[in-house]
Amino acid sequence: MRKAGKYFLILVLLVSTFLFSQPYKGSTIKVLVWDDALTVAVESMIKQFENETGIKVVFERIPSGSILEKLALSVSGSKADYDLVSVDEPFVPQVGNLFMPYSAWPEGKIYSKIDLERDLIPGVAEGSFWNGEYRGLPINGNVYVWLTRKDIVNNEQYKKEFMQKYGYELDIPQTFDQLLDISEYLSTKGIYGFAPFTKNAEGATCEAIFMFESYGTNVLVQVGEHDFEVVLDKEKAVEALKMYKELCKFAPPGWEDMGHSERIAAFNQGKVFSMFQWPAIVPDHENKDQSVVAGKIYYGAPPAGPAKRAAIRGTWMLGIPNASKNKEAAAEFAYWWSSYEAGKELVKVGMTPARTDLLLDPKYVEQKPYFVGIFNSMRYSVSRPRIEKYAEVSDVIKVNWLAGVTGRVTPEVAIDNIIKGVNEVLEKYGY
Amino acid sequence: MVTKKEKRIGEKSPVLYFILPAIILVAVILIFPLLFALGISFFNWDLIDESARGFIGFSNFVNIFKDKSFWNALFLQLGFIFIAIPIETVIGFFVAMLLNREFKGVKVIRSLLLLPVFVLPVLSGLTWRLMLQPEYGAISFLLTKIGVSQTTWLAKPTTAYAAVIIQDIWRMWPFMFMFLYSGLINIPPSLIEAADLDGAGFWDKVFKIILPLLKPTFTTAILLRLIDALRIFSEVFVMTEGGPGNATTLLSLYIYKQAFRYFNIGYASAMGIILTIISLTIAIFLVRKNMMMESA
Repeated sequence: MRKAGKYFLILVLLVSTFLFSQPYKGSTIKVLVWDDALTVAVESMIKQFENETGIKVVFERIPSGSILEKLALSVSGSKADYDLVSVDEPFVPQVGNLFMPYSAWPEGKIYSKIDLERDLIPGVAEGSFWNGEYRGLPINGNVYVWLTRKDIVNNEQYKKEFMQKYGYELDIPQTFDQLLDISEYLSTKGIYGFAPFTKNAEGATCEAIFMFESYGTNVLVQVGEHDFEVVLDKEKAVEALKMYKELCKFAPPGWEDMGHSERIAAFNQGKVFSMFQWPAIVPDHENKDQSVVAGKIYYGAPPAGPAKRAAIRGTWMLGIPNASKNKEAAAEFAYWWSSYEAGKELVKVGMTPARTDLLLDPKYVEQKPYFVGIFNSMRYSVSRPRIEKYAEVSDVIKVNWLAGVTGRVTPEVAIDNIIKGVNEVLEKYGY
Repeated sequence: MVTKKEKRIGEKSPVLYFILPAIILVAVILIFPLLFALGISFFNWDLIDESARGFIGFSNFVNIFKDKSFWNALFLQLGFIFIAIPIETVIGFFVAMLLNREFKGVKVIRSLLLLPVFVLPVLSGLTWRLMLQPEYGAISFLLTKIGVSQTTWLAKPTTAYAAVIIQDIWRMWPFMFMFLYSGLINIPPSLIEAADLDGAGFWDKVFKIILPLLKPTFTTAILLRLIDALRIFSEVFVMTEGGPGNATTLLSLYIYKQAFRYFNIGYASAMGIILTIISLTIAIFLVRKNMMMESA
């Protein structure tokens, strides 16, 4: 009898351990994320999270360009079809108010709440900031990182010739002027100095802002709580555009319509000396099966303009809609995704962590040399215009910047049109 | 025993019963969305900011008429239609004439010619984008071989617009061929033989016998192509995303941009209503003309 009692007690203890170790048992959350190798990897690890917490996760991956549409149709102030949604940085002002401020997120029961200042790379959290609050948890360290061919700057013959012609050592370009000199020199060797982004897409706006900031100006400034003013300095902006045009003279054929795929192909074939890249694409350049320059790339912050270095930031955040009914479980999932333990596995499949301890872990830095470059770039990170009507402002900048760069209008006219067009957008929406 | 009332239902209603599912389906998937779109075209309807929504009467329509980008997009869309469809029709007609005879392999040729119609518009757009790539593209390669200098075709407004039209012609002329060929084989051979006996030349037969007899087929084919061309979207989107500048932002792309990039659903709906009115006007004109020809 006593023996039976013992067995019963053990059984009760085992069952209760299992039950109490799953504090959210019975909860189900719906998560909406972009679709790439990283989120595929996250999905593959969800079972482990479900076992630990008892939370069932319905994980929906859709193309990144469709996330905002899906969000607009599924989340409002009064309803939320998802409990956790990923949002790209430039759209945080537009949808930020739909999300619970990070300061109000509950503490995790299993995974610790992430301290945005202590745990994350400096600068990364700014991407989720809007209206005086962080609107979610940044999930990746997405920022322009500058790629330069080490094998070219270390070529003794090139070094000697370059020194003779330009009077200083051939090295990683620290300024646009140096990049221009090197590009000019390399054009005599059949190497293109620079690969721009000139496709009619968001990347062109990024390039414009990157150049404007490097030359000491930006497009918009918030005035008071709800107003904005166009502050683009024409003289500096024209100089920035002219420099970009100069660099494009040393770009591969077809540079007038280059998107990610064209840039990746040109760089991986060893035709290009230097260009920016988003971290998620960098692994393609380091893949020996796809790239002849794998292992030959130096990663750093972008070259400086006359004013400063600038690197466009584009972090994704995880936000909990105000109308979600599973906030605690959603927060727990976000903490798990951002945890060091989960991050160790995700880094292996290409995640660019937002956590400092992962990004600077010597073990990963050795395997992924671009991690240090990302960390350095993030120190110079700048955002695109932060305004609710970002999409329209971005279109104005993109269209006119490209018109100026490709020579359809003069740089002066292009900048005038940006100023005029953005002012029209502000006026249209009553700013 | 069947009562009078039951008999009446039994006699008159079967047709109604048969078409009722179709009517319900059309009402749910076509009429309701159309009426809903008409309704919200009178509202400021921001998809994200619910607090900004409100009735604004005809303001969206007034703003559309003041919107230069709308007129530019409409102009580009109409230009696209009036250039692409006639060319597709002419090519389709003459290829149908050419293949309206029996020779070895003609059936295989006819089938193969239809292949572009079955290519997904997105794939067609992407393929053309790659073929026009100045350094690696097949078309650029061939053009440089005949002395045309290397050009970034999709980066210049005129060539990008032309490329979009050429892509559409390549994909859709077989559709016209298919229609016109089916019309051609229904022309009684005795008419052509009689014309031959009378000594009619090729163009006499085309203009005086074949074209008049094919008019209803032409009308139907053009009407269907027109409806399709008015909603062209994906192939242009993947080829140029509406650029360079707004050089290939056709009305369908502009409506998409307003709705799903700027989230101005009310404004986009108002433009959609205008596009529907344009489509219906052209369709009614063509259908009436067709009916008049048939009655004559």
